[in-house]
Amino acid sequence: MSNRTKTALIIGGGPAGLEAAIKIGQAGYSVTLVEKEPVLGGTLRKLCSSFPRWENPQELIDFKLQQLDQLPVVRVMTDTVVNAAERRGDSFLVTLQGKEGSNQVDVDAVIIATGFELFDASVYGEYGYGTYPNVLNSLEFEEKLKEWTAAGDKPEALQTVAFFKCVGSRDRSKGYPYCSKICCMYAAKQAGLVKDLFPDSKCYVFYMDYRAAGKEYEEFVRSVIEQKHVRYVRGRPAKVIPEEGRLLIRAEDTLMGIPIEVTADVVVLANAIIPSSGTKEMAELFGIKTGKYGFLDSDSKSPLQAGDRVFFAGACGFAVESLGAQYQGAAAAAEVVALFNQAD
Amino acid sequence: MPATQLSTDFHKTMKLDNVNTSLQEEIKLECGVDIELCMECGKCSGGCSNAHIFDFTPRKVVQLVKIGDEETLLKMDALSTCVSCHLCVDRCPSQIDIPRIIDYLREKAHKQGIEPTRKNVQLFNKLMLDYVQKNGRVAETHLMVRFNFKTGQYFKDAEMGRKMFFKGKLKPFPSKVKRIEQVRLLFRDVPARREG
Repeated sequence: MSNRTKTALIIGGGPAGLEAAIKIGQAGYSVTLVEKEPVLGGTLRKLCSSFPRWENPQELIDFKLQQLDQLPVVRVMTDTVVNAAERRGDSFLVTLQGKEGSNQVDVDAVIIATGFELFDASVYGEYGYGTYPNVLNSLEFEEKLKEWTAAGDKPEALQTVAFFKCVGSRDRSKGYPYCSKICCMYAAKQAGLVKDLFPDSKCYVFYMDYRAAGKEYEEFVRSVIEQKHVRYVRGRPAKVIPEEGRLLIRAEDTLMGIPIEVTADVVVLANAIIPSSGTKEMAELFGIKTGKYGFLDSDSKSPLQAGDRVFFAGACGFAVESLGAQYQGAAAAAEVVALFNQAD
Repeated sequence: MPATQLSTDFHKTMKLDNVNTSLQEEIKLECGVDIELCMECGKCSGGCSNAHIFDFTPRKVVQLVKIGDEETLLKMDALSTCVSCHLCVDRCPSQIDIPRIIDYLREKAHKQGIEPTRKNVQLFNKLMLDYVQKNGRVAETHLMVRFNFKTGQYFKDAEMGRKMFFKGKLKPFPSKVKRIEQVRLLFRDVPARREG
């Protein structure tokens, strides 16, 4: 074994990658944290608020960045992607492509934390995503919420917002029969935020059931219904029809068996969570297994191990909320630290 | 069963934009019952002692309040067939007092002069309350006989009545509570408020 300090490469600077970088750095090993965006924070950075405690995600990111600042062993490289990787015995020779050119680094373990993407809802012709400007996906709407909260200049005509859950998810015909796990929670959160910003507006959440499995999650959804007066309508919307600048939604109230219609200003689609393009690329580069839908899979040795010296954390493994991503980041860090300790 | 005229046409599209939430707010204010707590689980209807003869089971009553269909609610047969056994509220995970809602709707229907779907139910209520006012408790045998005569169904439940009588379950003479003046006071304080 060489005497140099062992280095971990962490790909992705979202909540999972940040947590892993901090923990490995605190254990005294050096870390190279690579992020393709110009700033750290991942998808969490784009969010307006969090469930179940309505906290500002930026505060969490700022705190994590402070922790990183105190760790000289962690080298952060933003605007950088991993171009190539070559296994050399117990280490990898990895080519990093930054804006100013590429360089090669020698690393002893890799944590992939490349996050998720949203399913492209334009394949649902009936919802008109990509055709009607006021049909948004949840991340686009989150961005709007962030703007409205920060700037205080809100659209005055926003009377009705409708949320569709399970867009892509739980849909065999679109190839994603799984439940994306976090949509129930963020749809409730977004609907609650709309009611906070526009108290006179009406919010409808179309659902088949709501899945709130987590600490304080059920109470969170109930509080949105009971205290913020968001109306949950049971049924999967069938069609969105543009009507005089607004959007007419057709569905069935499956509790009464009545066909229903409602006119909304904005329709928000809670799209299925799918693996990001980066996740697929990394899986190929490092020659690791992916499951049926492209999420990284465990090699059964440990839940976060995808291959020899390759680990993963966060939504590249499966849809997970930011808290879960942090858990996984810390767990993957523990794997790496244990591995480095063994080798020494 | 008398056919209930439904104002909601269950095949016609309902516009959620036009949903009137005032009944829901009224029930929250007047009865202290918040139906937003409803989890739509249907445990109320599953346990309802009279669900088999209801046109709208307890869960659907709550749902009708939610969609603001007051007309259907005030005309529905369930106003007559609910016996206020409280099994629904007893089992409800959110403790939604559905009998209180139904009572409220009965009163409202009565005030608006809406004829109950089953006249005999109203008659039964009146006869029963007469006995309570007179004796402080119900004289079952007498009530049964009076009800049967008034409705012209002279031998209704006669066989069961005979069996119950010989098992000592029916008392031939009405009994009174000791302090009937207390019951009278009750009736004096709430004179007009009649169930039914």
